[in-house]
Amino acid sequence: MPSSAREDRRPLLRRIDRLAVASFSVLTLLLGIYWVHQVLRGDDYARQAENNRQRSVPINASRGFILDRNGKLLAENEPSFTLLLYRRETRDVEASLRFVAELLGRPLEELRRRVERTRGGYDFVPVASAIDLSIAEVGAVEAHALEHPELVVQTTERRVYTQGTVLAHLLGYLGEASPEQLASRAGRVRSGESIGQRGIEAAYQDLLSGTSGLRTFVIDSFGREVAELDRIDPLPGNTLVLNVDLDLQRIADDYFRDKVGSAVALDPRTGEILALVSAPAFDPNVFSRRVTRAEWQAIIGNEDRPMQNRAIQNVFSPGSVWKAFVAYAALTNGISASETTFCPGFATFYGRRFRCHGAHGTVDLPRALQVSCDVWFYNAGRRLGVDALAEAARTFGFGRPTGVDLASEKAGNVPSTAWSQSVRKHPWYPGETISVAIGQGPLLVSALQTARAFSALANEDGALPVPHLFRIGEHVRSGARVAYRPPVTERVPFPPGVRETIVEGLWRVVNQPGGTAFRYRAEGLDACGKTGTVQVVAQKQAKMTHQLPEKLRDHAWFAAFAPREDARIVVVVFVENGMHGSSAAAPLAMRLIEAHLRPGSVPIPEPPAAPLPEATPPGGTTTAERGATPPATRTGA
Amino acid sequence: MSRLADALPRRVDVPLLFSAVALSAAGLAMVVSTTSGTARGGLGGRQALFLLAGVVAASFFALFDYRLLLRASPALFLVSLLPLVWLPVFGPTIAGAKSWIRLFGGFQVQPSELARIATVLLLAWILENDDRPYLSTRTVAALVGVVALPIGLILLQPDLGVALTYVPFLLAALYLGGLRPRVWAGLVLAGSLAAGASWFVLKDYQKDRIRTFLDPDLAARGAGYQVRQARIAIGSGGIAGKGWKEGTQSRLGFLPVRHSDFIFAALAEERGFVGVAAVIGLYGLYLARGFGVARDARDRGGSMLVLLVVLNVAAQAAANVAMNVGVLPTTGITLPFVSYGGSSIIATWAMTGLVLSVAQRRFVNV
Repeated sequence: MPSSAREDRRPLLRRIDRLAVASFSVLTLLLGIYWVHQVLRGDDYARQAENNRQRSVPINASRGFILDRNGKLLAENEPSFTLLLYRRETRDVEASLRFVAELLGRPLEELRRRVERTRGGYDFVPVASAIDLSIAEVGAVEAHALEHPELVVQTTERRVYTQGTVLAHLLGYLGEASPEQLASRAGRVRSGESIGQRGIEAAYQDLLSGTSGLRTFVIDSFGREVAELDRIDPLPGNTLVLNVDLDLQRIADDYFRDKVGSAVALDPRTGEILALVSAPAFDPNVFSRRVTRAEWQAIIGNEDRPMQNRAIQNVFSPGSVWKAFVAYAALTNGISASETTFCPGFATFYGRRFRCHGAHGTVDLPRALQVSCDVWFYNAGRRLGVDALAEAARTFGFGRPTGVDLASEKAGNVPSTAWSQSVRKHPWYPGETISVAIGQGPLLVSALQTARAFSALANEDGALPVPHLFRIGEHVRSGARVAYRPPVTERVPFPPGVRETIVEGLWRVVNQPGGTAFRYRAEGLDACGKTGTVQVVAQKQAKMTHQLPEKLRDHAWFAAFAPREDARIVVVVFVENGMHGSSAAAPLAMRLIEAHLRPGSVPIPEPPAAPLPEATPPGGTTTAERGATPPATRTGA
Repeated sequence: MSRLADALPRRVDVPLLFSAVALSAAGLAMVVSTTSGTARGGLGGRQALFLLAGVVAASFFALFDYRLLLRASPALFLVSLLPLVWLPVFGPTIAGAKSWIRLFGGFQVQPSELARIATVLLLAWILENDDRPYLSTRTVAALVGVVALPIGLILLQPDLGVALTYVPFLLAALYLGGLRPRVWAGLVLAGSLAAGASWFVLKDYQKDRIRTFLDPDLAARGAGYQVRQARIAIGSGGIAGKGWKEGTQSRLGFLPVRHSDFIFAALAEERGFVGVAAVIGLYGLYLARGFGVARDARDRGGSMLVLLVVLNVAAQAAANVAMNVGVLPTTGITLPFVSYGGSSIIATWAMTGLVLSVAQRRFVNV
């Protein structure tokens, strides 16, 4: 070429050399960068890649069933369906939610809230958008699987309480673990997991829950499972057998259908709780599914506080039931059983007139118990002083929790001079002792404490057992058993003849004419008991109690055991605003005793509502208010 | 042996051809690995077909005397611009851009890739005609114009990735032609101003990419997600790699556009640093042979043609490799010879044919 002959090629060659140096430097630099990432930091990235592709999800263990002492099923599990939304499978989460809301008739707001709550996670983690679908709803969702691949139905288990409201306070319910519960059970409970709340479900959470398994699998970038890598099967929870007798429980529950109060039945020899009812109750099944706003409002808006376990959490004055323990204080402090007092219908102490509910004439201790003569006990109380009464009360376990295997038990209150000084900051007035002697005043006891104390009267050896619901935990796979291990039993020391004297009085209450519960005796049961009535308003105003508003009417107590010798059952019934211990509380107590001592003699009522709640049908209304029925009508006596 | 040597054109540059073939083979293997068993089905067969077409185009250009092409380059350039003018107005919108012309059998052609051949020829022709130590102002203006025209048309589609691949042409042409230092300074200033102004022209997603590049961890789930996943793919490959079709990042879909823009990350994952070094080495070989051919070329036009081609290929490769590891922002620049795509494969091979053509006609003391 002519042009190239003239051309000076040296500048070009020089530029090529420089370009070569520059470009090979760039390539070397890039190689160095890859060296850093692949060789120096390769392990770190390899771990990140593994985290990327592996997912581990816990497999929930089946929660243990709960049975009554005769093997009747109280709590089990049933399959439940949860709708999951895979965020990455949909371009428009909002549109998906709108579709779900329309298909299932659920409020869009609620679905949005659920999705919002899980925002922090990766977008390809499934988001529970609506829990608890009915079979019909599952079908409806599956029918749209093609247009809505982001919606997936997951099968889980739901707790079912076969008896509905009947054992509500006793069993408790399941609910999502609170932050505090997560902290106190670190490592044993996962965030979002349902654990026992209250009752047996809470007390034996660890036995019931089992051990969850773990499934590890490979996912693609959409979070879709590609292959399973590893699987650790869950260990199901233990089956729990309780001491409760479902028949007794149902009888008590049925009795309280229209009342407010509590009832406890114990085996005095062991402390086994045969029945424990608190009314009004709630349906624990409500918490196993979605709790609707209406349901929750119905529960917390009810002024009778259905969530409260009245048998252990409410404490009241014991009224005349208390006289059994004043009798013990009297007999162990030098007052003879045969000492008599004349009752003209009142007594005057410290210049104040104290009424008796009748003029009983000359009474000794057994008769004073039989007719519940206040005057005899006023005199005994005045002679003994409040501290002797307090000591006797504490001997029978009052003023402290019984140790029952349920949480939030109240201790109650046993007043004494020391208590007055330290708590009330003023001296004890002797006049108060007169009130305490008949179970009024600042004395506060729970139904369960009373039942435990009566066990000591029922037992010949004065044993004061710890009430308990737990009987046996049995491992489903291995059959290994955990049985209840009683703590060392306390005893109430009875000098010779003391227990017999008190029991004689209590026997007469039920079995002799003039006894306050004579009307409710049952032939051959040989029951011993004590009625009690607690004034809500001062006695002077209380003359026409039937005309008082319901909330101001007297509370009714009845505590009993049977048979007289070798007692096998103690029953305490407390009816708020029930007016008379005999008429409001005694009938149930006698019915429970009869049902326990003569199985089959008392008809067992059916549980109230359909125990298995069906989830909301598509577009339907929710079944609200079940289990939280406010006591609409309550009859006085 | 002798018969084979006779069958081949005389003085084929074997190392250069080898590097192009080896890169293409590595690319084909990775296209198969990253696309087989997916919903779209394997793209390996199509890629093989593209390679075949590319080799045919390369043979055509290798056998043709490049001087004829240089002389015809103004006309070729104008012809190649026609579809680029037509596309923004009448072109079908595919994947959000008007970059493709549909052909028979589901094939599409990307005129912006093919215009590269005519552009490189015209640039070489312009440089051939200005052989003074420093380029005249007229030549500089001509060079800028020749590159700016296709870039402008391609940005209208819009396809930033391909448009950017034209920039090295201009820089290389200016450097090789020769500019006085003060002219360089002026150009750098003007370029910076243009880059600053372009911020107001860029689409939001393009700005996002640049922000992501500046702070990948900040946008860990948005556009930064891709960069992070690509880096995990690369790093987790380690020294030896996870094995062909064994890359979890790539096979499970964590790696974005893994058969195209991010194919190098897939290769790094499955073949490890060994594979990375081999591929970068092959580009080095390609470049080195290009420099060698340019030195020995019988005329200035030939030298310029070869240098523009190999520098363009190497710059694209370096940009893509840097982008895969997050050193440059994600811009849609593909990896020449390796990434899936017919037009890019054919254009790259055709330009390599031009290099081979120059190589055959060089001065050698045999």
